[in-house]
Amino acid sequence: MKKKWLIIIGGLAAAGIVLALLVYFFVYNKPHKDYSKAKPDFEVEAIAFFEEFRTNAAASSARYNGKVIAITGQLSSVEVTDEQVVALFEIDEGMFGSEGVRCVLIPEKAETLISIPPGSTITIKGHCTGYNETDVILEHCSIAI
Amino acid sequence: MKILSTLILLVALALGSAQAQKFITKSGNIRFFSSTPIEDILAHNRQVNSALDQQTGDFVFRVLMKSFQFEKALMQEHFNENYVESDKFPNATFTGKVTNIKDIDFAKNGVYNAIVEGDLTIKGVTKKISEKGTFEVKDGKVIGKSTFNVLVEDYGIKIPGAVAKNIAKSIQIDVDVNLEKLE
Repeated sequence: MKKKWLIIIGGLAAAGIVLALLVYFFVYNKPHKDYSKAKPDFEVEAIAFFEEFRTNAAASSARYNGKVIAITGQLSSVEVTDEQVVALFEIDEGMFGSEGVRCVLIPEKAETLISIPPGSTITIKGHCTGYNETDVILEHCSIAI
Repeated sequence: MKILSTLILLVALALGSAQAQKFITKSGNIRFFSSTPIEDILAHNRQVNSALDQQTGDFVFRVLMKSFQFEKALMQEHFNENYVESDKFPNATFTGKVTNIKDIDFAKNGVYNAIVEGDLTIKGVTKKISEKGTFEVKDGKVIGKSTFNVLVEDYGIKIPGAVAKNIAKSIQIDVDVNLEKLE
């Protein structure tokens, strides 16, 4: 009888350890959020969004940083470098050239963006990482329209 | 009248040359690397703002903490929420000078050694740093590179005991900015 109890307790303990290891493994390796499939937390217009950051950076950062933003505006230009493709909503001129919203596209959507002529009204969805005193940055962006 | 037009010309020239003195990027690279026997952690930020004034040597960086990409989502979460508190301190900044700016010939291709001194602010804590780097002048562009280390405790970053062995006390920072003349 005593032996049977030992086996049950031992079995439970082993199962517990395996479960703990599995949870640890999946939490440790949990995937990055797929922003192209995420529902936007905010839907904004490019100029108003940028002005919000410029006039009150702290409050806007608290509100938008880390959130999924769907931004609509007139595409000013597309910046292509070796490493990334960026959609630009250029809104003003500052000390360091144009200022506005920079949307870094996910590689799968880069070609689509390049085919859109500047001046077109587009909606881009991405993860807002903040305002660096010249631009507001959105990353992991996809094109909604 | 002649004096006036000469003055206007001089002012225009001065403004013109003042315009041409800056080199900037909005897509600079900063990587950091933590290495311990237990694990290596690498994060990469490709959205770094940087500007260099070729005349005065003024050199500035603006770095959004949330733009650092980690291999593992969990590490990125811990970094933002626990270590650098990026909701409270969204930017890291550097404001300083290239002290030997006169040694760099922006008109001549080549690799020049640079000494950069100034204030590095991470998580609201500002420290004076002085680091070595290089500027490569290449057909009117300037590629700035530097590798240096920062101690996490200098910037008030506390690593909890449970993961203290996973995260290095001294983090290697690699800076790589491709600066272009501001037109």
